[in-house]
Amino acid sequence: MAQTAKRETIPGQPAMWVLVMIEALTFSAYFVVYTVCYRRSPELFLQSQGQLHLDLGVLNTIVLLTSSWSIARCVERTRAGDFAAALANVWLTIAGGLIFCAMKLYDWSMAIGQGLTFTTNDFFQFYYFLTGMHLLHVLVGLIALGVIVYQLSGPQRRSREIVETCATYWHMVDFLWVIIFALLYVMR
Amino acid sequence: MTAALAIPAPVPPPASRLGRIAWQWRHNPKLELWLAWYTIVVFYNVFGIVFFVVTRTKPPPKAWWGLPRIVEWFAENRLGLLTGFGTIFFMGAFATASTALIVYSIRRMSVSPAFAWSYRLLYSLAAVPGMLLTCIALVAGAMRLDRDPRLLGLLYDMGFLSFSGTMGIFLVGSVVWAVAILLDRNGVLPKWFGYFNICNALTEVVVATCCIVKEGPFAWNGVIAFYINMVVFGIYTGVFITYLKQMIEHEEPERDYLPNRLALL
Repeated sequence: MAQTAKRETIPGQPAMWVLVMIEALTFSAYFVVYTVCYRRSPELFLQSQGQLHLDLGVLNTIVLLTSSWSIARCVERTRAGDFAAALANVWLTIAGGLIFCAMKLYDWSMAIGQGLTFTTNDFFQFYYFLTGMHLLHVLVGLIALGVIVYQLSGPQRRSREIVETCATYWHMVDFLWVIIFALLYVMR
Repeated sequence: MTAALAIPAPVPPPASRLGRIAWQWRHNPKLELWLAWYTIVVFYNVFGIVFFVVTRTKPPPKAWWGLPRIVEWFAENRLGLLTGFGTIFFMGAFATASTALIVYSIRRMSVSPAFAWSYRLLYSLAAVPGMLLTCIALVAGAMRLDRDPRLLGLLYDMGFLSFSGTMGIFLVGSVVWAVAILLDRNGVLPKWFGYFNICNALTEVVVATCCIVKEGPFAWNGVIAFYINMVVFGIYTGVFITYLKQMIEHEEPERDYLPNRLALL
């Protein structure tokens, strides 16, 4: 009973929630530093923001939100014991993650093509740093999604807890992107 | 007959402090582990005092300083650099206790010995660029202040870039330990600490930016490249030292013997 109660309140391993908390704190510190620098030279940041490809940022946000929806569906199907549908959903999430990475690399290559590199100014240092750190988290997330595929592929494995744990990580990646997108592309 | 086969009663520890220490030395089956653990505590304390107080190399001075200011910095901190890093040269080998105990923790886990070997190899290499090269470069600078200022500038950059810019090796070591903890079924270390290792590894990526910029939050003395990273690393170090202590406390030598090397191959 106690275990059931725990499952209802904390999906996945509680340890993963500690990681989510630490990551949230670390990224919050980065966001505070970004905001302080933004306040110091708002004109430069505003002008630089205008050079980003907002359409690509919006598209990437939609892709990542869709992948978050599909991983939520994967967890829901796993709980229902419908492992084939769960597997289909995790593959959809992986596709979303890969599209996100490809679009982010394309976005970077466009910016570099325009001569906007890490050393261009303070804003672009943050742009490459925050999106780069996030991309690293996406890559780790893709490994976590691979773990879900491995779990769901074998009838002997299929640990609901591990599926929920990896899905929690993917939601964190999504949550971080929404804030990064808002700060870099939208906040004026 | 029965009396002849009976196991002798354990010798109780004496009441006096010195007697208790001598008793631990002779009878404690975890003596080597405790020696290694206390060596880690001593090393990190000395390390912190040397870098933060004696040599004043942490927090690092400005990366954008010109040559006259760099020469001045070497002159101001000459005595601290020579005595502090001299101490590190003397005690640097204490760092191996940390690697040894972490490798021991991995050997206790239900994972391939490849993890332990990788960790051992990575950290044996990491101490050279991550600590010793910094000390050597800055001591060389402080030793002869009458050198060409351009040479002092080179030693200054080499010292600080070596300390901050080579975190990649530590990063991979952290990932190796993380994966071992997450795969382990013996419960040697808690799972959350495995995830914390990943977090620590990801924050160590940040310092690579100090090779590109000299000013702002991403320079070697910047808020992001140094301060935030140092806070995460400081907490991480405190946590892993605590967990290694708990691992030793909970260990029962007769139950938790290390697996036979041949059986693992």
